[in-house]
Amino acid sequence: MTPSFPMLDPLVYAYVPAARTNESIKNDLAAHCQDILKSHIGHKTEVNHTQLMDLVKRRLLQLSPNGSSVTKFSNLIMRLEDQQVLSRKQEAILFLFTLSSLSTQQATSIPIPILSQPSPTKLIADTAPSDSSASKLESTQPNAARLAKFRAQRGVPHLNESLLVRDTLYLLQGISGKYARFAISQTNEKTLIFSTDPKAVVTPPTQALIHRLAELGYLYSRIDSFVRERENAPGVGMIEQSLCHYLQTQLTEYYRLIAVLETQLSSTRTNDASVMGEETGLSLRRLDVWVNEWRLRMRMMSICVEGAKDSHGGALVNLIHSYTDNGDPFVRKFTHELLEEVSRPFFATLHKWLFSGELYDPFEEFFVTADSSLGHIPYVHPSSLPGGISQLSGDAIFENSNPDSEDISGLRENGKKSWETKYRFRKDMLPLFVGEAFGKKIFSTGKSLNFIRYSCLDSDWVVTREKMSNNGGSLLYGDIAGLERSIDTAYQLASHRLFEVFIDKFKLLDHLSALKNFLLLGHGDFTDQLMETLAPSLARPANTLYRHNLTANLETAIRSSSAQKDSVDVLRRLDARILEYSHGEIGWDVFTLEYKVNDPIDTVLDHEAMEKYLKLFKHLWQMKRIQRALDKGWMRVTGDARNFIHLPELESEWHKVRIVMAEMIHFIRQLEAYCRLEVIECSWKILIDFLNKKEGDLDALIEAHRTYLDRTIKKVHLWHSRPGKEEVLLRQLMEIFGYILQFREAMDNFYNYCLSRSAFKDQAMDAERGVYTGSSKGEVVDSEDALPGLLDRVKEYGTAFSDRVQTLVHHLQVHPDLDCRFLGIRLSFSDFYRPKKELHAGAKS
Amino acid sequence: MPREIITLQLGQCGNQVGSVFWQRLCAEHGINQQGILEDWATNGGDRKDVFFYQADDELYVPRSILIDLEPRVINNILTSPYSRLYNPENIFVSKDGGGAGNNWAQGYVAGERIYEEVMDMIDREAESSDSLEAFVAVHSIAGGTGSGLGSFILERLNDRFPKKIIQTYSVFPNTQEGDVVVQPYNSMLTLKRLVNHADSVVVLDNSALARIAADRLHVQTPSFDQTNQLVSTVMAASTQTLRYPSYMNNDLVGMLASLIPTPRCHFLMASYTPFSTGEIDKAKTIRRTTVLDVMRRLLQPKNRMALTVSSPTSCYISNLNIIMGDVDPGDIHQALLRIRDRNLATFVPWGPASLQVASARKSPYVTTSHKVSGLMLANHTSIASLFRRMLDQYDKLKKRNAFMEMYKKEKMFEDGLEEFDNARATCDDLMQEYKACESPDYISYHDAAA
Repeated sequence: MTPSFPMLDPLVYAYVPAARTNESIKNDLAAHCQDILKSHIGHKTEVNHTQLMDLVKRRLLQLSPNGSSVTKFSNLIMRLEDQQVLSRKQEAILFLFTLSSLSTQQATSIPIPILSQPSPTKLIADTAPSDSSASKLESTQPNAARLAKFRAQRGVPHLNESLLVRDTLYLLQGISGKYARFAISQTNEKTLIFSTDPKAVVTPPTQALIHRLAELGYLYSRIDSFVRERENAPGVGMIEQSLCHYLQTQLTEYYRLIAVLETQLSSTRTNDASVMGEETGLSLRRLDVWVNEWRLRMRMMSICVEGAKDSHGGALVNLIHSYTDNGDPFVRKFTHELLEEVSRPFFATLHKWLFSGELYDPFEEFFVTADSSLGHIPYVHPSSLPGGISQLSGDAIFENSNPDSEDISGLRENGKKSWETKYRFRKDMLPLFVGEAFGKKIFSTGKSLNFIRYSCLDSDWVVTREKMSNNGGSLLYGDIAGLERSIDTAYQLASHRLFEVFIDKFKLLDHLSALKNFLLLGHGDFTDQLMETLAPSLARPANTLYRHNLTANLETAIRSSSAQKDSVDVLRRLDARILEYSHGEIGWDVFTLEYKVNDPIDTVLDHEAMEKYLKLFKHLWQMKRIQRALDKGWMRVTGDARNFIHLPELESEWHKVRIVMAEMIHFIRQLEAYCRLEVIECSWKILIDFLNKKEGDLDALIEAHRTYLDRTIKKVHLWHSRPGKEEVLLRQLMEIFGYILQFREAMDNFYNYCLSRSAFKDQAMDAERGVYTGSSKGEVVDSEDALPGLLDRVKEYGTAFSDRVQTLVHHLQVHPDLDCRFLGIRLSFSDFYRPKKELHAGAKS
Repeated sequence: MPREIITLQLGQCGNQVGSVFWQRLCAEHGINQQGILEDWATNGGDRKDVFFYQADDELYVPRSILIDLEPRVINNILTSPYSRLYNPENIFVSKDGGGAGNNWAQGYVAGERIYEEVMDMIDREAESSDSLEAFVAVHSIAGGTGSGLGSFILERLNDRFPKKIIQTYSVFPNTQEGDVVVQPYNSMLTLKRLVNHADSVVVLDNSALARIAADRLHVQTPSFDQTNQLVSTVMAASTQTLRYPSYMNNDLVGMLASLIPTPRCHFLMASYTPFSTGEIDKAKTIRRTTVLDVMRRLLQPKNRMALTVSSPTSCYISNLNIIMGDVDPGDIHQALLRIRDRNLATFVPWGPASLQVASARKSPYVTTSHKVSGLMLANHTSIASLFRRMLDQYDKLKKRNAFMEMYKKEKMFEDGLEEFDNARATCDDLMQEYKACESPDYISYHDAAA
């Protein structure tokens, strides 16, 4: 107490009546006032009136944005100005303003209270913000005490706060206290019920405060029960386990806080006797401050717990991740920490998947799932590997020993099926921070690796994996950029490897070339040879064909053509087969070449693809057959007719036959050249370019091959894109082929007729010279009548052919497909098949 | 079924060209001068068995028969490094060695004399083939042996092997500066056999060869070697698809079927581009070869190996381009479109015709400076002008009955010279038919004749 401020004591007495009796309070307050006076408050007296008003108004606006207090303040100032008694009005306002700003500053600058030594200065500061108006230099404590006293006098005992604090501490742990307890309402919601004991009335403000605090208890119990539930439950995913672990550590932290608070409470109680007890100990408000941060934390955790109930694995990670985009740094930090922890098992699985192609995911939390229906293909863990391999090789042996067995079709599907359905991508389980594109990459990387490992049984695998693991390092949530890099490298390595495995080890390219050479007739000399030797038997009814005969011819064709240079592995897959036939079909209709593929090449060359190859073979083979028939026919009409037939009167007929023949030859050769060059070679080039790039995964490879086949088959079959018209042109083409063959037959008949006529003539000449060389007069007479019929047929088929080609060319010229349109150009390169209208127009002009 | 082809080298020209041709085939197939397959040539994806067979000692031997009435050229071959390549049993040199004296009749008559011996060789070769497809005769039609003996053999071959294709690579004489005065007679008499007894004749016009040599090689008077190289290049290229099989054109029948719609119009012109130094000594280098470039050059008349005069109505009856080298299929497609758009080739009006393109592999053992090379075999109506020229020359000589004595000396012309008129008529017919081909009425060509 400084004598320089003798006025302080009366001031204190006047404002705080309690100080009149209580010396210590008076001293305290006096000291406080002195502090204020000694401080630099008020030094800034230069502040002018209007400025000050502005400052105050601004402050008031800050405190209550609705502006009512500002109006109030303006009124008060008006009245203050009217007062003549006071001389230093401005200073007084400044003083009050400074006071108000002082208290708020202190209140906001409170750090998280250090529990052990709450300082008395802070105590006051603590109470200050709870004041409704800072402008009054007045502590609530004495008022409260007075109120308590008043209440006690009224016979309504106000419950001691320390008791409530203790209760609250229980509540914080989810335990009901004496005066406030949890109850379970009808809606299964926990509610807080306060004691109705009239001796222990809890005032509504306090109730509200406790309510606030009890939220933590409620949240706590939820989290705790969740953790407990998961602790022993079977089938809890690793991500959830990890979440539980994190929650558990958080809860332990929480316990620590409660424990500290409890010691605080008990120390308060022991100090109860002391005068300062109430002020230094715990109060509900203080408790509120202490647990404030925890409330947020608990809320976050509770949200996670809620989420964990309906989502699972990756989706849970997703849920948590959705909170990382939060402006609140606290929430962000918390979720980040949580994610770091929770995503750890996810990343462990990811690492395994990405670098070894192993799906180790016992609880189906990963965004890749395995199809368990393909049980015999190992997909889980190396521990199951030996069994898996032996089973797999068992299958292989089985397939080799029974090439015709029914089961083959089932097994054949395996390669493709195991690739396509063994693993599935689950978008909902994909963590958002990975991104779908990367998710797909991860998916395909692991899939590729797994495929290399199990379906291709690649022994070099270890080397590759090591290389990749080294590049990869460890994967963490915190290092998303690094993760993306790792994924990219792993993806590239894996897909590259897969290409290598397919091309180098399994000789995919060899198989593709073989298919092109044999089924798409690329080995021209082989095809010619095969057709030459088979043609006589193929012309007979289908049921007279024997498979051993076919295979023997196949064998010969291979040996006597450049196909013999092909690898043994390719040649042993080649087979000749008779398709199922119905009555009336001949060998040409049912013969097919076949190329057998097995694991894992059948992933690319699946059953569907092979069907398409067979379809293509059938078409190309027929074309070749027509070409061969025409070539033979050409030999007959040019060479043989010249050499053996000496009938000048029929020369002009032969000339016409030759011209039709030339048209047919032109047609079939252009068609073949188109199929070869524009279709097969161009498609092949696209495929080869793709393979040489070695980019993309097996899916891309399968897709590229499928595109190759589809493109080929569509263009070879002159597929029309308009629905309902798809096969119109193909049918026309078949019709044309039919006419060609019929023409050939009619031509042969005509030829034979001429031959016998010629022979007869020679005989006649011989006879004239007196040499008898046999007689077949009767026959010839018959034949002579047959001539017009023979010629009619030749003409009929020739005209029909020409008309059909004309129609086909017109259709092709407006075909939606550019290449098909080009076939139209090829066929009518010299504009021979101009529309008839134009021809007429040309003739008239 | 290798579809063997037996080559007959007839006379001085035939044997010279033939020997270059075989050298070339050996190089392309990696066969050395002794007929031994080089170690590096085992996997070229080629078919050697079309033109070679393997002897008991694994050596590759050409399916070739060398026939001449004078020993000079064949002796040269037999003293060349390739002497051991040929089967000595397949070499026939007339014992008297006098040659045919540039007289068709002398050669033809000699044929009757040596018939047995020659047919023996041919039979032996034919029988040792699995599926003989064709005989290819290489000869000149101007001199005595190639034309006279050649004509005789063509007739007999046709008679003996009616179901086999007979193709000839016939060197037509340079009409301006022929070194044989009676070459119009010889040519005319041979031409008749070519029309009647051959299935396909590749016309190699000496005047065109000289011009190409001058243009392409910058040689005013090309050596025999150089022209022979030109011819053998064409021969090798036209059999490329047979020797390097692919999807189409693996047999001669197929190729000829597309080129020759009617039996008499079987005279094919050839163009080849670009000639490189590997093929021809001192060839001018052509820097850029794209498919379009090559195809366009092939269509240019100046590159044709037959000197013909095109009229506005002359057109292609058929056309086959063999593009050799590593070619992008899309390029061929584009080139075809461009050529059609620019109307670079006109075709007969009486039937559909188009530019056929066959892409063939190149021999991996012969390096050339350019990526793409091409051969065109075309049946073009302007060849009629060549026959016209031959007729004119013939008429000029015949009008005066010049040099007839030397023919009359031979037995076959003792009774008369109708054969000359006959041959002329055949040639005239042929020319008329080619002319008729230019009109849409060709369809009813024989109606008019009948």
